[in-house]
Amino acid sequence: MIVTFDIIILVFLVLAAIIALSVKDLLAAAMVFGIYGFLICLLWAEMGAVDVAFTEATVGAGVSTVLIVATVLNTRRRSTD
Amino acid sequence: MKAKIFASIAVVITGAILLYAVIDFPDFGDPGSPPNAGVPGGAPAASRYYIQNTYRDSKVPNLVTAVLADYRGYDTMFETVVILTAGISIFAILRVVRRDDDPSAPEPVASDRTIDGDHHRIIVGITCRIAAPLIQIFALYVVAHGHYSPGGGFQGGVMLGASFILLALSGSLRETLARFSERDYTRLAFVGILIYAGLGLLPMWVGRNFLDYGALSGLFMTKGEEMARSHSMLGVEIGVAITVMSIMFAMFANLSTRGRLQGGL
Amino acid sequence: MIVTILSILLIVTGLVFFLGAAVGLMRFPDFYCRMHAAGKGDTLSSLLVVSGFALYQLNDIRDFPSDWPVLLVILKLLAVVTFIYLTSPTSTSALADAGWEDGIDPVIEPGHENHLEDDCRKPPVSSPQP
Repeated sequence: MIVTFDIIILVFLVLAAIIALSVKDLLAAAMVFGIYGFLICLLWAEMGAVDVAFTEATVGAGVSTVLIVATVLNTRRRSTD
Repeated sequence: MKAKIFASIAVVITGAILLYAVIDFPDFGDPGSPPNAGVPGGAPAASRYYIQNTYRDSKVPNLVTAVLADYRGYDTMFETVVILTAGISIFAILRVVRRDDDPSAPEPVASDRTIDGDHHRIIVGITCRIAAPLIQIFALYVVAHGHYSPGGGFQGGVMLGASFILLALSGSLRETLARFSERDYTRLAFVGILIYAGLGLLPMWVGRNFLDYGALSGLFMTKGEEMARSHSMLGVEIGVAITVMSIMFAMFANLSTRGRLQGGL
Repeated sequence: MIVTILSILLIVTGLVFFLGAAVGLMRFPDFYCRMHAAGKGDTLSSLLVVSGFALYQLNDIRDFPSDWPVLLVILKLLAVVTFIYLTSPTSTSALADAGWEDGIDPVIEPGHENHLEDDCRKPPVSSPQP
């Protein structure tokens, strides 16, 4: 566990979460959400929970992004709020 | 605007409560924390038991897999059932079956995109065709090697499903559905659960508890109960992988076509 | 010793290319130039860095027959290299193609023609095909 690395990843995590919430284009939000999942995967791998990081890399950064994109393309692209 | 203010207040309050709860957490890797040292006069230390006994009990070096598939077998089984339920609910909400839809009829031209007819998709299509078998081989390695290295049924299953999703995204959904049809993935999803529950039920045949894999040493022809537990974990992981793979692809196929399984993204 | 120096050389070269990719991503004028910098720089620098790691692993082989599992690590790293070599240019190509289909125009100096315009621009996706 490297504290500096942790803090850097956590800062980027918070940034990615805020961007994913505030972007009007839902496709861009889906992509930022994928980045969020990948950062969480990095954080877990760095803290030693490799199994969880593996799951997050496949589910969070991989498949769920595709599912969200598929949903966005079949509904509306823009957020209203 | 008003909704946004209320939402922000709710988020801030929840976050503050969560942060307050974090104060009570033990430090990262603290040897004196309750899971590592036990409660004085109460429960013994869980992590110490797993660390000391897992290899002796089941000859599995990866403690995470041993805890997931053996010690906490019920938990993992019903997690898999949860995934199956998610797949069933997506099917129930989205899938559209019309009687006048002839599944053998050719699709409309605009959505019938194949790799070979469209030079914009050749590079991506060919690369994904090369990459998909590699991903599947790695996924099988992850499933089969789950006791010795990080990985296991969930991860391998998601990767297998992702390889089919990749084929459907880069080529056409119709070609992928011709190889892995709706009938196949619906059946496989249940087959996975049946493998898990069946392996759990087999020990009851000889009068042991549900999911007590040690009783299967006769079935797997191993010398001791330890290797029987290890082999059963592999079988259980295979069941989980089959279910997860099928459900992932089913979710994508239903979500990307609004449940018609025609056209695709 | 030579192995260590060579691997350090590879990794440092890779980092230089990473820096070039990052600078290009910030400085280039339009989408296609930025994709060019990101795609090529990323691919080459990842290749160099991971090859450097693979080379550095050779240090762990003290006596050959008993230390053979190190070769598995090297093999895995080389597999990663091959996979990056396959997928990274493809994703760059797909992104550039998607940008072109989305109607992003490249920045062209006055006096030059846009030759891509001739045959590559597809009709907009939403319009029905004849």
